[in-house]
Amino acid sequence: MTVRFEQSKPQFTGARVERAEDARLLTGRARYLDDLDFPGTLEVAFVRSTHAAAKLVSVHAEAASRMPGVRMVWTAADIHVTLDSPEFGVNQPVLAKDEVRYVGEPVVAIFADSRYAAEDAADTVEVTYADLPPVLHIREALQAETRRVHAERPNVMYHQEYQTDGFEEAFGNALHHLSATFTLHRQTAVPMETRGCMAAPDGATNRLHVYVSHQSPHGFRADLCKFLGVPEHAVRVIVPEVGGAFGIKAMFYPEYVVVALAALRLRRPVKWIADRSECLLADCHARDGIHDVDVAFDGDGRILALRDHLMGDSGAYPAVPFCGSIGETSLAARMLTGPYKIPHLSFTIDCTYSNKAPLGAYRGVWGPPASFVQEGVVDRVARALHKDPVAVRRINLLQPEDFPYRTASGFVYDPGSYAESLETALELVDYDGFRKRQREDRSRGVYRGIGISVFVEPTAMAASEAGDIPYEAATVRMEPTGTVTAALGLGPSGQGHETTMAQLIADELGVDVRDVVVLHGDTDSAPYGGGTGGSRSGTIGGGAALTAGRKLRDKLLALAAHLLEADVADIELKDGAAHVAGVPAQRLTVQQLATAAYTDVNRLPEGMKPGLEVMARYQPTRPITFSNGTHIAVVDVDVATGQIQTVDYVVANDCGVLINPTIVEGQIHGGVAQGIGEALLEELKYDTEGQLTTVSLSDYLLPTTHDIPNIRIRHLVTPSESKGGFKGMGEGSLIAAPAAVVAAVSDALEPFGVMVSSMPVTPDQVLEWIDADQEKKVDSVDSKVYFEN
Amino acid sequence: MSDAVISASGRTPVRMEVNGVAETVYVEPRWLLSDVLRHQLGLTGTHVGCEQGVCGVCTVLLDGVLVRSCLLFAVQVDGHRVTTIEGVTPDEGLSPIQASFQRHHGLQCGFCTPAMVLTAEALLRTHPNPSEADIRDAFSGNICRCTGYQFIVDAIRGCSEEER
Repeated sequence: MTVRFEQSKPQFTGARVERAEDARLLTGRARYLDDLDFPGTLEVAFVRSTHAAAKLVSVHAEAASRMPGVRMVWTAADIHVTLDSPEFGVNQPVLAKDEVRYVGEPVVAIFADSRYAAEDAADTVEVTYADLPPVLHIREALQAETRRVHAERPNVMYHQEYQTDGFEEAFGNALHHLSATFTLHRQTAVPMETRGCMAAPDGATNRLHVYVSHQSPHGFRADLCKFLGVPEHAVRVIVPEVGGAFGIKAMFYPEYVVVALAALRLRRPVKWIADRSECLLADCHARDGIHDVDVAFDGDGRILALRDHLMGDSGAYPAVPFCGSIGETSLAARMLTGPYKIPHLSFTIDCTYSNKAPLGAYRGVWGPPASFVQEGVVDRVARALHKDPVAVRRINLLQPEDFPYRTASGFVYDPGSYAESLETALELVDYDGFRKRQREDRSRGVYRGIGISVFVEPTAMAASEAGDIPYEAATVRMEPTGTVTAALGLGPSGQGHETTMAQLIADELGVDVRDVVVLHGDTDSAPYGGGTGGSRSGTIGGGAALTAGRKLRDKLLALAAHLLEADVADIELKDGAAHVAGVPAQRLTVQQLATAAYTDVNRLPEGMKPGLEVMARYQPTRPITFSNGTHIAVVDVDVATGQIQTVDYVVANDCGVLINPTIVEGQIHGGVAQGIGEALLEELKYDTEGQLTTVSLSDYLLPTTHDIPNIRIRHLVTPSESKGGFKGMGEGSLIAAPAAVVAAVSDALEPFGVMVSSMPVTPDQVLEWIDADQEKKVDSVDSKVYFEN
Repeated sequence: MSDAVISASGRTPVRMEVNGVAETVYVEPRWLLSDVLRHQLGLTGTHVGCEQGVCGVCTVLLDGVLVRSCLLFAVQVDGHRVTTIEGVTPDEGLSPIQASFQRHHGLQCGFCTPAMVLTAEALLRTHPNPSEADIRDAFSGNICRCTGYQFIVDAIRGCSEEER
């Protein structure tokens, strides 16, 4: 019955529609968490551990209780909830009990009339620690004799092995081999809005209202209710405007339990907003892994077998609900062959506890490490064989005829534009011209390098940091006036879902995009859904919006056909009206239809129920759809100062059908910027005692306008099987970018024998390489190839 | 911030002109300008990102000059003129700069955006036709974690005199 619509071009889907969100954000009228204020709200300050590993000898908070404005003080003696991870046999008390395991772990909570008063009181708390030897490095944690972070559990908290049949033979028979170690530093997402939550008992409904800056309203409610031991109908979760999230706000944290329980105990609103130091200390961290890699390849550069021992630092506790080290390693292991036809794969994974903050999700979980390894391997093979990195990529890349392609780890890639994306990006950056100019540049002492990263991004996965909800849900309601209210369980933080979902729904219903309001982030309005994470919202959420929109469209068409006394197949629905095909005068506006559906029910066709409201769930047919693309970075390295500047950057991106190209480009720009930060700037550093030394943004360096070049993008479109043909794309740019940038540094410093093997690459590191090369006055090319930093 | 417990005796009157309106606020000397704007005057369009003076999210105009409101005590602005995002927003619709940000998708999560708009106001007053380098210099103290800056630069260029 909808054939006619399928043939017409959508008006809004695929268009560069301006965002519905922007007006409130640009004028300062948006309401973020800390903009909410209820009379009588108490604020919380946490006293956090200043020791990485220690027995808690005593915690004296009596003086704090007597400070002006202080209403309550809690230690572990007052609150007995633990964040349980039954699969690991490790539970984190929400306030440290008996022992602290990382710097920044909450020990005492102070509830006061203002944050100023709470912090004054926090200064009076006396904690006596008896230090234990901190466990700070993965390789150390792997040693059996190392002290256990959790006395009752071994430090290796996750182990997995996998090998393709015939691996050893394929590996052994290969003509060439090389080995390399890749080291990934520790990072965190640093959204500009810090983390926080507020809980307020609601007198009207006798429920607890919890306001939280989070990506998954329903997932958060489930976790909170589980830990509080209350049923889900007793808690309403409301996510206000979210000022960036990037994975760290997909996680559950001890502070949320403390705030919610205090609100229940005190019967008044309680609010905690993290300050920036707390965020760097106690937002979940990311990456922090080591890859010991062996590669077998033939004389043409064809990679025959790849072996990786992946090691991940979990921090002190398995983060809830998503243990980052396992995410970073297990998915990296399975994605390690990336866009390349590498038939044999062998991997071993070990994740270990340490006395550092728990590792959770940051945009692109698994991806930057895997791309670093995957592209690093290709570049090493190229250099070993004195071949151009492009030539080695071309020989290994999946070609159009290879799809659907089953990888060595058992993933099945749906069709993509892998080889085409490389060629497109090469053309965009003028690769051949670059190589010619590079020779001249080097002769003038200018070290400019180019780095390529061909990526595959598994998106819209059945399970991700957004939980194990493989579907998304949408309600779409046409109001009696013909305008539309939709609600989804998504948790956007700048991605523009209110706009993109409205585009899809508006096209289904034939109304103006401005007549569709999209609600989200409130468990009272949104149907149960997974939320935002794992690049799932556009594909799965979009599928839900389309499914619900289509159901409502079908009802509108049936109603219009009845009222216009025409065949339903002849009804066209567009520009806010239904009319009989070829007879424009025979029409009813959607407002007239909606009014009839709600208030003139005697006119409805036999069997049609009143009202215009549907709820639909959508689960993609495939467990994963794979986006792809190629990034190419160009960097200048100043060998006198060590400074690295990214001077050009191109992206060929394929995320299937585009809902809003401008929003997609914004996502790419932001991901590339975070990738440049990951490659060159951002690092959480612990000293030898386990103190985090990067607790301000003066120490943890974020990219500024001077670090990010203009990025040139070309879209390729290989539709997925998902409804609408969409693929996810929220993470691919951060997955690809760090590998491209460090490859460019390796290329720039090729005359010095440099091949980057750990991130971030800093000016100090560059100068060390230059100095080492000067001292070595190397005698053979081969000895340079595996210069590992 | 509740007034319940903090004794009035510890407070100092601060008289300032905020977005063209004369205001008198009684503050503790240690209260940050950012906190007073947000929690005493209800001007929550000024956001707080680091309270370390690095991220630029709390930027406001003090006598027309860009300052970080997290690095000033409210008592320091006694007798001065403060302009926040609310003060550069027209009663209806968007200012030309705000509209250009929307047109060029120069914002995503929006948390740094009010500071970006104010920084643009200050830049365009002195440089009506800034070059890309001018823009990147002017915005180098404003961190945005979402956009990668390119569309912000485009937004500023899009509302320069030449483009208008």
